[in-house]
Amino acid sequence: MTATKKMKFMVSVFAFAVFAFVLPATSLADLPVPAHIIPPVGEHSGEHVPQPIDFPHDRHVNDMKINCMYCHTYARRSAVAGIPPTSKCMGCHKMIATDKPRIQKLTEYWEKGESPKWKKVHDVPDYVHFSHEKHIRKFVDKADFPVEDVQQVCGLCHGEVKAMTVAEKVKPLNMGFCVRCHEANDGPGDCWKCHK
Amino acid sequence: MSLSNILDNLSRFRQDAESERYGHHDYEHRFGMAIDLDICIGCNACSTACYAENNLPVVGKDYFEQGQAMHWMRIERYWDDEELEHPERGASFIPMMCQQCGAATCEPVCPVAATYHTPDGLNAQVYNRCIGSRYCSNNCPFRVRYFNFWSFYESSWPEPLNQQLNPDLSVRDKGVMEKCTFCIQRIRVAKDSAAREERNMIDGDVITACAQACPTNAIVFGDTMDPTSQVSLAWKKHEVKRGPYTHKEAKSDEEIRGYRVFDELNVDPSVMYLERVRDSEV
Repeated sequence: MTATKKMKFMVSVFAFAVFAFVLPATSLADLPVPAHIIPPVGEHSGEHVPQPIDFPHDRHVNDMKINCMYCHTYARRSAVAGIPPTSKCMGCHKMIATDKPRIQKLTEYWEKGESPKWKKVHDVPDYVHFSHEKHIRKFVDKADFPVEDVQQVCGLCHGEVKAMTVAEKVKPLNMGFCVRCHEANDGPGDCWKCHK
Repeated sequence: MSLSNILDNLSRFRQDAESERYGHHDYEHRFGMAIDLDICIGCNACSTACYAENNLPVVGKDYFEQGQAMHWMRIERYWDDEELEHPERGASFIPMMCQQCGAATCEPVCPVAATYHTPDGLNAQVYNRCIGSRYCSNNCPFRVRYFNFWSFYESSWPEPLNQQLNPDLSVRDKGVMEKCTFCIQRIRVAKDSAAREERNMIDGDVITACAQACPTNAIVFGDTMDPTSQVSLAWKKHEVKRGPYTHKEAKSDEEIRGYRVFDELNVDPSVMYLERVRDSEV
């Protein structure tokens, strides 16, 4: 075995070890699934979407225990969850962590009166009507599910956001994914409920 | 689901005729219309509103002459006296859109079940499933299904006109059939807000673009299953009933003008028209 071949072999062994042992270990730390929901099935490895500022979801969710709907406030009352206005960020970050480079970049945007051009990560095609509000009503409000744990419901389609920095698409969000969940959880099966 | 619905229920598509459940669905709503042709002035406002609401492309004169116009709502003109170009009594107008038939002839012929009946009593067209066989259009007695022979996106909405497109429904591309939906996007919004307020839908929650734009209120839209809705009252007043056609029923009063177009074809249309009254006949 030549040196380069040996190197290649070592690399492949290492890569195998990573994929076989390390990655499953991280995905094992999945969110608990709420008891009243049969979760949709499907995995997806989304491309990394570069954002103007690398917003750390993990810091906000894990360390600060901020609810998803504190920032994505429209989720419970409209079709889209919404991205918070810069003023909402600045509500905290006028005072907090102002020495960090990412916050300084945010402050720059704020002082210029501009919003960071956030990129959409979870996007369904234009011919699909998806309403966050209806799903929150069914699985949280109507089910008397504690709003503090809403990330478990959000996580069914958005994955474990608390383990991500910038949000990544980890669920396929295709028609099969939606329909299997609709069938399992007694959602509507009429084409025109979702297709427009 | 819709495919199984069609396969399971096709055999009794026109059976069970005398019962309430005529057709093949447990309806939640049955949206319908009442159009008074005596009030209609043929101004085309409904058609224009439909173009704006439903992202309909303007195809241009050449395609229009080839019969490839995409007007979901069109005003048909009829002349009493065919020899005169401008007869004394003028034209009669009839706004013609998809009649959302209860026993629609377009539905069973679709090879891929892209058109089906919704629990709202509408004939739905699922654009993503449509393969463009055009069988439905050929089977429609009203000729109200329109096929996208071309892609009109570039020509019909050049920048910045594409900003005017309605985001609540898709822009159809070449190769799919499309038709009037009774403004399903508006129905969807009304249903959502009714659910938010934890109530049933009431008459007036939804108004279609054509009915909204009509300057003379000739078009009344509503749920015919709701006995108190305006459209139900109009249907009742003019003695038009849902269900199969057996024979032409005599009206109790000569002044009653209600009828459904091609009722005798037994397609159970959801649109009732009120005949025009001529001055000479009064």
